[in-house]
Amino acid sequence: MTELGLTPYLCLGAFLFCCGLLCIATKRNAIGILMGVELVLNAANVNFVACARYVPQFALEGQVFALLVIVLAAGEAAVALAIILNFYNNHSTVDVDKADELKG
Amino acid sequence: MLSWLLATPGRLYVVATLLPLAVFALLLIGGGVRAVCRPYRETHGFARFCYFFLGGHKPLKSGAYLATAGIAASAVLAVIGLVRFLDDSHALSPIEVEHRWAERTSWAEVGATESGPAIALDLGYRIDHLTALLFAMVACVSTMIFVFSLGYMHDEMEETHEDHEAHVKRPGRYGRFFLFLSLFCFSMLNLLIADNLFQVFISWELVGVCSFFLIGFYHERRSAGLAANKAFIVNRIGDAGFMIGLAIIWTYFGTFNFQEIFTKLASDGPPMPAYLFAIAGIGVFLGCVGKSAQFPLHTWLPDAMEGPTPVSALIHAATMVAAGVYLVGRCYPLFSPDVRLLIAYTGMITLFLGATIALVQTDIKRVLAYSTVSQLGFMMLALGIGGWVAGLMHLLTHAFFKALLFLGSGSVILGCHHEQDLRKMGGLRRKMPITAFTMLVGVLAIAGTPFFSGWYSKDLILSNAMGFALHDNQHMALFIVPLFTAGLTAFYMFRLWFLAFTGQPRDHASEHAHESPLTMIVPLMILAVPSIIVAWGWPLWDPHSSSLAHLLEHAKPGMANGLDREDETHLAGWLALAAAALGVTTAVFIYVLKKVDPASIQAKAGALYGFLKEKWYFDEVYDAMFVRPTIALGFCSARFDKKSTPAAQAEVADRTMNVTSLDGVLNVLGLGTLAIGGKLRVTQSGYIRRYVTVLMVATLAFVAVFVAVYFVG
Repeated sequence: MTELGLTPYLCLGAFLFCCGLLCIATKRNAIGILMGVELVLNAANVNFVACARYVPQFALEGQVFALLVIVLAAGEAAVALAIILNFYNNHSTVDVDKADELKG
Repeated sequence: MLSWLLATPGRLYVVATLLPLAVFALLLIGGGVRAVCRPYRETHGFARFCYFFLGGHKPLKSGAYLATAGIAASAVLAVIGLVRFLDDSHALSPIEVEHRWAERTSWAEVGATESGPAIALDLGYRIDHLTALLFAMVACVSTMIFVFSLGYMHDEMEETHEDHEAHVKRPGRYGRFFLFLSLFCFSMLNLLIADNLFQVFISWELVGVCSFFLIGFYHERRSAGLAANKAFIVNRIGDAGFMIGLAIIWTYFGTFNFQEIFTKLASDGPPMPAYLFAIAGIGVFLGCVGKSAQFPLHTWLPDAMEGPTPVSALIHAATMVAAGVYLVGRCYPLFSPDVRLLIAYTGMITLFLGATIALVQTDIKRVLAYSTVSQLGFMMLALGIGGWVAGLMHLLTHAFFKALLFLGSGSVILGCHHEQDLRKMGGLRRKMPITAFTMLVGVLAIAGTPFFSGWYSKDLILSNAMGFALHDNQHMALFIVPLFTAGLTAFYMFRLWFLAFTGQPRDHASEHAHESPLTMIVPLMILAVPSIIVAWGWPLWDPHSSSLAHLLEHAKPGMANGLDREDETHLAGWLALAAAALGVTTAVFIYVLKKVDPASIQAKAGALYGFLKEKWYFDEVYDAMFVRPTIALGFCSARFDKKSTPAAQAEVADRTMNVTSLDGVLNVLGLGTLAIGGKLRVTQSGYIRRYVTVLMVATLAFVAVFVAVYFVG
């Protein structure tokens, strides 16, 4: 099996990142935004892991950072879901556009 | 305490100086405690006790008695001190006298460097004949004025006093009056005993501020407030010069002590370039010009008559204005011959100016004020031409009879129910005989009648002036003008007396006049005595044998010896007498025999009359030269600072952007920030997708720029 090289992985990461970003920018559902954020984080993870595999000097750092991002994503999901739950309790909706009481 | 006091006799003077200060402090503390207790008087027992113990709603009378007792004790000590000092100076050598009658202590040290020791600012006293005599004079005259004030300020004892000129009702200020008077006495006495210029300067300013308080005593009256400001500001001009002089002296002598400065001057001459020495002298003299109301800074003194009459007597006749003359006498070695000539001519202009204006004034106090200006001019002239003794002797004699005259005018004003216009008086001789008689003594003294104190000093001045003028013919004016003015003096003083006391009452106020109470009459009678005898000597008819002159001769600075060129023929004296007699005769013709109607003279010399009546238009000229430009400058600054708008529109003006003024620029800063904030707040929409979009676009833009720079550049 021939090596694919770094480029396809980076392209995959970029594609995932754009999907996540678009998801964040367009969704009104808070859960949807959260999913977008997860996509962005995992796009970064793909890059880390790919770099760990193909760039010798990042062999260790890439893996460590990938693990770090997974933990971070878990924490972020816990906090964000708690916020969303509270928001739902107060507003009976998860539409982020309704969360505009503090706007200027 | 007592042993400290008895250690050197000079400490008598320290105690005498500090007594009025102690009284001032007591009155101040008492008044402060009362003011603090006042809000709590209903709720707290102790506060209530303090409040009512210290007089309650009414002015505290005992404070005034305390102040009077304090200054009387000072006067007693001053007289004892004078007698003991004269004894000592007869019996002991000058060094012993110096040892017993002078002390100094270091107050603050400045300018210590690694190479040299610090220079100390000293506090000290030094008594010589001049100080001893002036000290006794100030303390005694002040005592008389305090006693007189007890009666004159009687109105102020009421719980609510109605000011008929300002139309307000206010609490009486009996205590406050004596408070300031005490502080004034302390400052004046401290000024006299000081042995260094720095201490003199402190007292000098204290005297000035007391004068400000007392002129503005009726501060509800706009005129009084303005007069107080005027006096203070005009004095600042003089003091600016004084400070320049002090700075030069400090820089070159390194000390303020009179004796050290004079010793250095006598042995080595001035340690500075001649022009700086002259500037130092002129600077110190400028301070004296301000304080002694000399031309061109004389305009504050007549306005200062807005204060209560005892203040006019104390400050503006007897003591404060004397401070300037005293300082010229004290700092005499600092004046080079050119500066002395300047002093002489300043005095000459002042004495003529004052006398001519006094001729036509109708306010009794203003006549006296201008006569004071004129007499101070005589003193300055005498000092300028080298008649050190003559000038200071006139200062002493003048203090007594001018205090007498002012207190007399106070008695007249009170008797006529606060009427000050001479045209409305008349015939007061029968209504208030004692005032009339004592004032006549003062008038005779100031006119230079033989055997009255004023005769001796004025004779000495004119005799010196004649000697000076004969020696140096180009300065003949220095003799002619004073001689002529001596006649004018006699004329306007008798005019005042005739208008007030003879003839028939010309107004109901003078018809219903009454003699003043005893507290006011007695000081008049007491002051009349020194007004006659203070300069006597033996033989009585020889003005050159005055004992006062001989006493002052002892204190004369060494460099003043040989400067006075008296004329030995007594011609000047006879001429002065003739001039005075002429003046009196004219006054008798016009105001008693009524051979000539003053109104017709006014009509004939209308322009001159108006010129004199308006005080040579000095106020107008100063107004045009200094006051208006200053105010205009203020308005210009205000315009630069703020768009000048009526008060009603100011609110609107503050909300409009106007970059042409300082205020406008600041408003633009504030309002602009506000506007930008208003615009930007819209972007804080609260929509996450918008934030993310902005973030995305911005990042892309940055990346694009980065790529462009990286690959293209």
